[in-house]
Amino acid sequence: MLQASEYQSLPYLSWWWRTKDYSRVMHRRSLDRTKAARLLVAAMYMGMGVQIAVAVACIIAGAYGRLDGGIYFGLGVLLLTPIIWAHIIVLPIVLVRLIIQRPRQAALIKESRQIFAKHKGLKIAIAGSYGKTSMKELLVTVLSQKLNVAATPGNKNVTVSHAYFAKRLTGQEDVVIIEYGEGAPGDVELFSAYTQPTHAVITGIAPAHLDQYKTVSAAAKDIFSVASAVPKGNTYVNISTELTREFAPEGIVGFDSKQALGYSITGINMTIQGTSFALTKDKTKIHFKSGLVGLHQVPVLAFVAAFALQQGLTPQQVQAGMEATKPYEHRMQPYPLAGAWVIDDTYNGNLEGIRAGTELLSQLSAKRKIYVTPGLVDQGHEAQRVHQEIGQLITKASPDIVVLMRNSTTAAIQKGLELGGYRGNVRIEDDPLEFYQNLDQFVAQGDLVLMQNDWTDNYA
Amino acid sequence: MNKQTVAVFFGSRSAEHDVSIVTAISSVIKPLQMTKKYDVLPVYIAKDGRWFAGEALGRIDLFRSGKIDEYMAKHKPTLLELGDGLCLVRPSLRDIRTKIDVAFPATHGTHGEDGELMALFELANIPYVGCDMPASVLSMDKVLSKIIVEKAELPTPKYEWFYSADFSMNPEPILHVLKSLRYPLFVKPPHLGSSIGTSRVANETELINAVEVAMHYDNKVLVEEGVPNLIEVTVPIMGNEKPYPAIVEQPLTNSEDFFDFNTKYIRQGGKKTGGKGKAGAQGYSKIPADISKALYEKAEDTAVAVYKALGCSGIARIDLLIDSKSKILYFNEVNPLPGSLYAHNWRAAGVSGIQLVEDLVEYALQRYAEKRQLDTVFNTNFLQQF
Repeated sequence: MLQASEYQSLPYLSWWWRTKDYSRVMHRRSLDRTKAARLLVAAMYMGMGVQIAVAVACIIAGAYGRLDGGIYFGLGVLLLTPIIWAHIIVLPIVLVRLIIQRPRQAALIKESRQIFAKHKGLKIAIAGSYGKTSMKELLVTVLSQKLNVAATPGNKNVTVSHAYFAKRLTGQEDVVIIEYGEGAPGDVELFSAYTQPTHAVITGIAPAHLDQYKTVSAAAKDIFSVASAVPKGNTYVNISTELTREFAPEGIVGFDSKQALGYSITGINMTIQGTSFALTKDKTKIHFKSGLVGLHQVPVLAFVAAFALQQGLTPQQVQAGMEATKPYEHRMQPYPLAGAWVIDDTYNGNLEGIRAGTELLSQLSAKRKIYVTPGLVDQGHEAQRVHQEIGQLITKASPDIVVLMRNSTTAAIQKGLELGGYRGNVRIEDDPLEFYQNLDQFVAQGDLVLMQNDWTDNYA
Repeated sequence: MNKQTVAVFFGSRSAEHDVSIVTAISSVIKPLQMTKKYDVLPVYIAKDGRWFAGEALGRIDLFRSGKIDEYMAKHKPTLLELGDGLCLVRPSLRDIRTKIDVAFPATHGTHGEDGELMALFELANIPYVGCDMPASVLSMDKVLSKIIVEKAELPTPKYEWFYSADFSMNPEPILHVLKSLRYPLFVKPPHLGSSIGTSRVANETELINAVEVAMHYDNKVLVEEGVPNLIEVTVPIMGNEKPYPAIVEQPLTNSEDFFDFNTKYIRQGGKKTGGKGKAGAQGYSKIPADISKALYEKAEDTAVAVYKALGCSGIARIDLLIDSKSKILYFNEVNPLPGSLYAHNWRAAGVSGIQLVEDLVEYALQRYAEKRQLDTVFNTNFLQQF
């Protein structure tokens, strides 16, 4: 579980303190036996061995009258072994982090600042509460049709990963795309200071990481701070949602489902196989097709197409790039299962994603619609309100069956369903893994299943 | 509220023992558990006839790894108690008694699907899933089912049948009768499914060999004419009084070939299905069948008529043979407990695995409730006369 918490001591310890049933550890995944993990396990076993030996010695000494209270003391030491070592195990990690890792990373980050400063290419920062990785991948796919593009890999989106990414840059790239994974106040400001972007794209504002930011306003303030780090007119914001419009500062370039960078968007069509639309400016109309699913993708696709045209790509190159776009793994990714369609959106982790998903569910037709979610994590004191809203969003999509995973958010979602007047079936699953593994037993031809978000065991 | 206990019976002394394990675990036990409506008790009947009940028996790993032998060595066989319904007794320091509310047979072939298990449930007076005892007996005897279907004026290929013992003693008169049939012929042990012991023969020498193979499995042998210009279809049906078909499915056979057990189950169909073929339970069929609308509807109607004629209830699968030139549909055979419940076909028809088992349990309870309304006791003064 320490590994599942990415070796973060506090999240691991808070999981340990709140957990009542340890039998579920290693339920959904098992230890990845990396070198560090093996060392840690070996050290722990050695320590536990020493403790057990001491306990046994105390019991024996107590039994032979050589140590007063030795039996009780020894038994106490013996019984406390798992509790003590569950805590001590974080010590080597904290020490290694403080003594070795932090200084090394600090040097690396300092070096990366110079690399980014010297780089002559376009440096695009991607920030926002959701959809950052999708925006990044989309820009890479389309711009690569003509330009030499580099982007931060996967969801590696904090200062240290930016620094490692900077080390790999050749300096010959036309475009460098850096994803900003904000998690606490000041993060985006810090990322901007180090990476010094020339352009910024803000995907939207939603309640996320509120355990650290406390309010959406604080999160928005941090995210929009990137606008002051780039030249005026180079901050592009997806203003499709009310919350984003509310916090967007003056001077940004907004785009939505009607327009993007001076192009008007028309002819929108969406199926489970993809989305199509056209961009029109003056008398020129260009048609695009993408494998991405959902009307919420249209503003993003249109912006990327318009931005690519602005960067000198031909319409044919942009069209080819758009056609090459496919759903990203676990992000609105449709796949057939036993005659049904499943839309896997399990990497989604925010309210706006839930909104987009439930809207998609209501837009697509199916014989029977099934909505599956465990709820969202990291919602802080907003958790109750957010999950009631989720319940109401689900109600609007009118699925025939709602499947919830039993956890701290279930009651709030159920309350939201009740407030919304939901009349379908609600199933509460105790074992998410069993449900996902046997999904084929639930579905039949013509069914549509939307699975949004997934909780790892350390959140359960 | 206490959940109903559904016991799933599988395995048994049958050539289709292993197929039954797959049916039970993948298509019955798992979906029943996923409904969360029932307490599910797997009941495994070993090849030697011993019964074992226990939750662990619902895991395929136990059978795949061969650890079932270890399991049977460690556990005492389960005992049956008849009286107030059916109670399974697992002997241990304190015997574990489980009263069964609904029985779900998932056996194929002999000593189960053929009506034997159903007879036990009838005696115990408990609801059970699928065809009742008389329908199972008729359906699992290909000779008896053909006689019934003929009486219902539904076409079936021309056939003859005889007892294995009679052929062993004096084959000549039987071979003489068989001369009235037109080759190619199909030789079948009438009580077995999954094409076990079935042969296609083109001359008398092959016929004699095939009869000997069939006699190895059964006390009766059925010999029937092959249908020319053959299109084989199968129709899964569900329901009691108002049965309805799933999708007419077409196994990928041709007139020169037929699918034996090995092809169906071991080689996953063995044929490339092309663009239209779908991987069914055995991965060898087209869903829906590639036939005209008129033939499709005729197949549905004929299958439902056969289902009713044989008194089937709950679930069954009717196999039909179509002469594509004459457009005549022939009854071939009935499968009162289709492998894996033909869940793949029901899914394609819009019935999920969970819905399928829920509906089947519901049909069992419905039939049981109706049956309870019938008087089975008749009071007379007959004994007082003695």
